[in-house]
Amino acid sequence: MALTRRAFVTTLGLGGAVAGGYYLSGGRLIGPWSRPDADAAVTSGARLLLHNNENPLGPGDRAMEAIHAAMSDPDLPLARYSFATGAVTTGIAEKFGCERGNILLGCGSTQILRTATEAFTSPERALVIGSPSYEECPGMAAVVNAPIKALPLTGSKHLDLDAMADAATGSGLVFLCNPNNPTATVHSAQAVQGFVDRVLSASPETVIVIDEAYHEYVTDPAYESQVPLALETPQVVVARTFSKAFGMAGLRLGYALGHEDTIDRMSAVHFGMARNALALAAAAATLQDPARLDAEALRNTEARKFTMDWFASHGYEMTDSQCNFIFVRINRTAAEFRDACATHGVLVGRDFPPYENEWTRISIGTMEEMQQAVEVFGDVLEVPAAITSAA
Amino acid sequence: MSVSRRGFVRSLVGRSERARVAPAWISARGREAWVGELGSLALQDGAAPAAAEPEERTIRLSSNENPLGPSDVALQAIDGSLVYAGRYPMNAIPAIADFVALVAERNGLETTQVGLGSGSGEVLNCAVRAFTGADRGVVTATPSYEEVPRAARGRGVPVAEVPVDDAGRLDLDAMVAASSGAGLVFLCNPNNPTAAVHPADRIADTIAKIETASPETVVLVDEAYHDYVTDPAYASAVSLIPRHRNLLVARTMSKAHGMAGLRLGYGMGQPDLIARLNQWLTPFNSNAMVVAASVASLRDDAGMARERDRNTAAKQFTVEFFSSAGHQTTDSQTNFIFVNLGKPAEGFRNACREQGIAVGRDFPPMEKTHCRISIGTMEEMQRAVEIFKTALTA
Repeated sequence: MALTRRAFVTTLGLGGAVAGGYYLSGGRLIGPWSRPDADAAVTSGARLLLHNNENPLGPGDRAMEAIHAAMSDPDLPLARYSFATGAVTTGIAEKFGCERGNILLGCGSTQILRTATEAFTSPERALVIGSPSYEECPGMAAVVNAPIKALPLTGSKHLDLDAMADAATGSGLVFLCNPNNPTATVHSAQAVQGFVDRVLSASPETVIVIDEAYHEYVTDPAYESQVPLALETPQVVVARTFSKAFGMAGLRLGYALGHEDTIDRMSAVHFGMARNALALAAAAATLQDPARLDAEALRNTEARKFTMDWFASHGYEMTDSQCNFIFVRINRTAAEFRDACATHGVLVGRDFPPYENEWTRISIGTMEEMQQAVEVFGDVLEVPAAITSAA
Repeated sequence: MSVSRRGFVRSLVGRSERARVAPAWISARGREAWVGELGSLALQDGAAPAAAEPEERTIRLSSNENPLGPSDVALQAIDGSLVYAGRYPMNAIPAIADFVALVAERNGLETTQVGLGSGSGEVLNCAVRAFTGADRGVVTATPSYEEVPRAARGRGVPVAEVPVDDAGRLDLDAMVAASSGAGLVFLCNPNNPTAAVHPADRIADTIAKIETASPETVVLVDEAYHDYVTDPAYASAVSLIPRHRNLLVARTMSKAHGMAGLRLGYGMGQPDLIARLNQWLTPFNSNAMVVAASVASLRDDAGMARERDRNTAAKQFTVEFFSSAGHQTTDSQTNFIFVNLGKPAEGFRNACREQGIAVGRDFPPMEKTHCRISIGTMEEMQRAVEIFKTALTA
């Protein structure tokens, strides 16, 4: 499908009309989780967007047909407050064998993570998270003045589950990103379930949100989704999104799965009208097409392997990626590498402290895009690092 | 426009090739023309005849939506933006920031003075979260739009309700009096559900008085129906923003722009106020398609004038019907009317529903006498008044 190509061509032709940093006024300004490059894509006139872990193929034909059908529907779903969520929630319920009461839809999993943070943390009940991990919960915790306990990762860039379990006692919310963004590492089902047992036996009121945004891309057989655990355990919630393997980042739809009581607690603080007719139509259609997800996972695995083979053959260390991005030790600052790549029209990930002096996150595009990208990476990395990176 | 063709539509949109063609076709010929054509197109495709599904489509006069949906330019923009469906909205063209810049430019503001919501509903909801608390309550009129008091009560925030006057206007003096120490005063102008508008000088005077009486209180002026107002005494409160650091003005793409299902609204105020609001608004709450549609629609001043004129004519027709039937309406400056039925809304609503017309919900404390009716197309209102005739005597 030619969506990506057309997007890039258009991106090259326009650009520059943007007041950068709009979202910097949001929660992301706070603490170590700022995102100074968030709006860089359009201004830079980039050719390859390898900075936001998007699916380079977009939502696919079924989703496009559903969107066009919604646009043509004389019942005018685009103009109505109908919020016909039935097809999506039914599709999700069928996918997981659960009830609609186990599901909360959000404006991307972004809204789900913020809602969970608002529902389960407070000035007295901290957020526990790995560092680095996905930044949404800490951003919201800062807004509600909840303490943030950010635990360093292990040497292999895995979440330090022991340290997080120790810190979890008495906390409001533990955020477990599995696989972890930005380090791409995954934890086995056994490790996650052991972690949950340990946290809840010491701290029964603590809620654990497991973010499975990259679920479909995992290839490690030791990994399993924890949706079944979440459905039967009131203190465990799983967050999912249509933004990654489903290819709908621009459409904005995600969801939480959990025990009905926990979903009710989240619903109490959730703004429920933040979902749109186009995303609902596209998601409902794509849920009926699991083969497309399998094909997308396979495509990503091949392009990821190609990219990782390239970095390995050039002597660069990486984590064991289970995602549609890789975390690479480039032996120079992420900023220097990012800026140099951008001059060649390739955008790569933002800073992820405390690794921003040596490591970068690179999203996986199509095989053709990665073949172009490694040419640029080769040119950029040939130049000696301008700043000697701190150890 | 025939409204009994859902069966045809389903068979049509099930075919990917035809579904792809449809938006361009609509863009070229207009939505109502397209719907009118559906029968013959579908029959050419060998679809089931109308008799296979005889149900009539309900005419929705219940949620103050634009009965024509997004404009042709907006639909074209959506079609063009679909290449970005897989990209986060800040990577699309136009990007979120382009819409922010356009709103700022059209309102004489800086981009730091605009915050986006998933509809203005999220702006209202987040204003409650950002500016109120258990000891800083909400002041609102009753009846008025419910999102602010609903969000407040859900969070244990006290709500002071000030009844509207006999003409359905906000009792601005009483609201000023109630504002001392409040976190948020909600002024819906024009007011939903009473449809009444307040002159620019009265709104300016009210905001100034609240600022004097209670300097930390935020005043939220909801201008959801701004584009439908025809009263020359009305003006947006946006021009007052430079003078009041605690003034927030909300607008939406859901009403005159016809995008209620697409979700985009915005709040405008001084940078510090917007920064406080933005902390609560969901990042990336604006999908790439609604951003593209909104950039196109907001620039289309001629299209908005046509929509306002269309609504005004259909509204006038409907008001005249009720007037001739002996039922008073408030002076509507919106795409809905507030009618004194002289009896409870519920019975009228049920009678209308049986005949395929959906009208507005209860609006306490006026639900025993008044009903809110949204304005559809002229054709829909011509059909609706025939049903209103029987429902009024039921």
